[in-house]
Amino acid sequence: MTNAVTGAETSNVQIVSEDDVVRVQDLKLNFYTALGVVRALNGVSFNIPRGKVLGVVGESGCGKSQTGLSIMQLTTGRIEGGSILFREFNTGEAIDITRLEKNGPEMRHIRGNNISMIFQEPMTSLNPCYTVGNQIEEAILLHQTQDKAEARKRAVDILQKVGMPNPERIADSYPHQLSGGMRQRAMIAMALSCTPTLLIADEPTTALDVTTEAQILDLMRDLQNEIGTSIMFITHNMGVVAQMCDEVAVMYLGRIIERATIDDIFYDPKHPYTISLLRSIPRLGVARGEKLESIKGTVPDPYSTVTGCPFHPRCPAAIPGLCDAVMPDETFVAGSRTHTVRCHLYT
Amino acid sequence: MATAAGELPRAARGKKQEDVGQIPQWKLMVRRFRQSKLSVAALFVLGVMYLFMILGDFIAPYQHDVLDSNNPFAPPTQIVWGPDGPGIYGLKQELDQEKFQWVYTIDTSTIYPIRFFVQGYEYRFLGFVPSKLHLFGVEAPPDVNARIFLWGADKEGRDLFSRVLKGSQVSLTLGFFGVFLFVIIGSIVGTASGYFGGVLDNLIQRIIELIRSFPDLPLYMALAAALPLNVSITVRYFLITVVIAVIGWTGLAREVRGKVLAFRGADYTAAAIAAGAGHWHVITHHLIPNAMSHIVVVAMLAIPGSIGLETALSFLGLGILPPAVSWGILLRDAQTVQAVVTYPWLLIPVILLIITVLSFNLLGDGVRDAVDPYA
Amino acid sequence: MLNFIARRVVNMIFLLIIVSFVGFWIIQLPPGSILDTQIQRLRAQGGNLPESLIQALRTRYGVDDPFYVQYWKWISRSLQGDFGTSFETDQTVAERIYNRLGISVSLSLTALLFTWLVSIPIGVYSATHRYSWPDYIITFVQFLGLSIPGFLLALILLITASRLWDQPIGGLFSPQYADAPWSVAKLMDFLGHVWIAIVVLAVGATAGLTRVMRANLLDVLNMQYIQTARAKGLQEATVIWKHAVRNAIHPLVMSLGTLLPALIVGETLIAIILSLPTIGPLYLDALRSQDMYLAGTILVMLSALLLIGNLIADLLLAWVDPRVRLE
Repeated sequence: MTNAVTGAETSNVQIVSEDDVVRVQDLKLNFYTALGVVRALNGVSFNIPRGKVLGVVGESGCGKSQTGLSIMQLTTGRIEGGSILFREFNTGEAIDITRLEKNGPEMRHIRGNNISMIFQEPMTSLNPCYTVGNQIEEAILLHQTQDKAEARKRAVDILQKVGMPNPERIADSYPHQLSGGMRQRAMIAMALSCTPTLLIADEPTTALDVTTEAQILDLMRDLQNEIGTSIMFITHNMGVVAQMCDEVAVMYLGRIIERATIDDIFYDPKHPYTISLLRSIPRLGVARGEKLESIKGTVPDPYSTVTGCPFHPRCPAAIPGLCDAVMPDETFVAGSRTHTVRCHLYT
Repeated sequence: MATAAGELPRAARGKKQEDVGQIPQWKLMVRRFRQSKLSVAALFVLGVMYLFMILGDFIAPYQHDVLDSNNPFAPPTQIVWGPDGPGIYGLKQELDQEKFQWVYTIDTSTIYPIRFFVQGYEYRFLGFVPSKLHLFGVEAPPDVNARIFLWGADKEGRDLFSRVLKGSQVSLTLGFFGVFLFVIIGSIVGTASGYFGGVLDNLIQRIIELIRSFPDLPLYMALAAALPLNVSITVRYFLITVVIAVIGWTGLAREVRGKVLAFRGADYTAAAIAAGAGHWHVITHHLIPNAMSHIVVVAMLAIPGSIGLETALSFLGLGILPPAVSWGILLRDAQTVQAVVTYPWLLIPVILLIITVLSFNLLGDGVRDAVDPYA
Repeated sequence: MLNFIARRVVNMIFLLIIVSFVGFWIIQLPPGSILDTQIQRLRAQGGNLPESLIQALRTRYGVDDPFYVQYWKWISRSLQGDFGTSFETDQTVAERIYNRLGISVSLSLTALLFTWLVSIPIGVYSATHRYSWPDYIITFVQFLGLSIPGFLLALILLITASRLWDQPIGGLFSPQYADAPWSVAKLMDFLGHVWIAIVVLAVGATAGLTRVMRANLLDVLNMQYIQTARAKGLQEATVIWKHAVRNAIHPLVMSLGTLLPALIVGETLIAIILSLPTIGPLYLDALRSQDMYLAGTILVMLSALLLIGNLIADLLLAWVDPRVRLE
């Protein structure tokens, strides 16, 4: 079942819910660059239930953003295995996104309409040449209505909903006239303008200052409750995860190494990587002078393949002869139907 | 204190290497450069051309400025295989009374052999060593018209091959030095402007704006026309170089200034200044090294334009002046349809010019892609 | 916006004054003037030239005046549309310039239009089909276009045209139409002559701009807002043409300023070969014969064109990019 060399192991563990909006199965994504093949995703599986927020956490380069882009079919890499089942809730139809033509009409119909995305850099994610209103209307005109006046009205409405003080004026502004926080609100407005089933938020607050970050997170939480959109929340910040998410998937080098509910992740983390990740968060109340823990070593270079568990070179609990040779399977933590981990310590 | 700041970039470089699989940066550049086959080919072609240029006098069979009334517009010589190796036939010259053209007929009675490593006119090898040795020459009695014109002759009967070789010593170098000069000016002025800012920056920017308010070519032409005419070839060469540099530096200075402004605002520069590094240290350790790759690329891409400029000025009679030779001067013979149709070999210098400029363009493009290996 | 234009115009006029001063200074740099040459020639021919006549000539041309007086005489007359009388031909400078400048400007504008119409679509195609065979071919042709001197291309086209249609093509008209009134036949004849000039003029600039367009579009395509546009579900064509091209087009707009005068004078060599009655050859002649009034006037006029071109480019840029407009 496990083949450590090619990384072709499959996950036989499924947390199945009838309510799933998206079900990613064994997703493999490769980049063919001049310097070699980069295996960005090596069999990623997860699912997002309706109306829930899934946090995807990991260091930079672990493939979390590429997972989001793969669902949108916007990645520049090649999806070479697995499936992405998406269920549009109004119709109940399930579609395998990986089978759709990348820029075909079906895929374009899903983008922005059923699944939308917010990006990390609010300063550059809006086109500087068009007004904010124009860019929001563009999505509405594409998916919802042909009527320009109606589109304008909806754009202003949604701008109001995301807490813009003067939505009419904001709609006529150009991106460079707005602050980072305002732009991210505009991006959220654009993403939610067609009331999507799933919103993929790729580090939406990383580039913002702390106060603005809190406001944006509040806003997303509120809108999520109101509209009922599921959110895939990509971040490297455990604090943000605690604030936003219902469930968490921890990624390391193109694999999900632990999946659990928010409580389990914070109070009962299993994988050594998750544990180190949590220890590296500064906390109030910790004795002064105590050193903040960091994970030793760095992420291996993306062109090489690590045999065995990809984390073993940095793992404090690595078992010689096992962890560096055999890739662990994803298994349920004893006694749980929602908590899985990919580690030899728990098999 | 200076060492503390000096260690910063070294540490930063080390970090960068690790990210792309522990490969040194220059190796990545070389690897990337070699990927673009066209650029490698261009480098090879240029290498051969410069080799020919350096060995020009040795390769050239005749002096570039020796007139020969027996051979105006003599066509490229046909090489035949004779009893003792390769040789050529003699030529007979006649005037076509209707077309007023010289017509040449081959006299096939005798084959005059081509000899290698022969004695010829005296020159200085590599500019220093006096020598009479030439790569090849024809052995023929002085009263026979048997001269070897690999690429034909011009209207004065001068050997085009020898003239092209001689001309390359101007055309392949002048543009190069012009760029070299303006890179130095542009880098210094741009760095000063961006780093010190204030009044100096303002003044420099106004001067650049003024120079750039003139259209390029007319300004080059005006300056070249203002140069004194009765000076030696070397002085003229130097003056043309200066003209190219005097106008060319402005663009580079602006770009360097932009880079310096960006780097000056960067955190590592702030850290160096906070650590007490002086202006000179910051400029030489943080600004110049970072702007270097950019400067090199701009310079590489400017060389073909500069070579073309020298050719154009010489063609227009404002650059290098006869009796000196440059490719631009050779092109003057090829400016009418009639000449080109009748004597097509006159286009050979043009073809060489195109190959040179094309090669430099391709090379510059490859270098630009290569110095940015993380892109 | 009006404020912006006004500021630019004032700045431009100020620059133009300095430019005219410096331009005039450069032009009179060469030692000796055509007057000296003329006097020498007259002396050689007629032997004795009365000192009074020489003095008259010197006063007429203001040769003995200090530099700033010469400049003032020249510039004040220029502003009244009197560009003086050329040393060489005694024809008024204005007449010689205007005839040719008109042809030059209209040729160059057409070439510019041609450049844009060709380089934008090809650049876009090249960028969106990066590393494909058509891209390699386009890239190679671009380098060729950049590397072939315009005048050689002119020669090649002339030879091909004369071989194919068996008529010497050069100049703007065939002899029989040169002085004829405008008619359909004359227009056709004109077009038959002028296309070579336009193509030759445009080739170098087109190659350069295609390259720039490709590089810029590639940069823009990496921008986050392109991903945003795709994430909206827009068609790829809309993403490219509406969102990417508009952001990549800056240097093309900017090129308007520099390209126009470059085209106008860049054709000097081409004009010589095609025997076109444009400003380039006139400027060259003026420089070579040290006809300072004529050369200086042309240089300053070309600078004025450059500055006006830059102004138009800035206005266009403000129209294209709100960041410039609202700055």
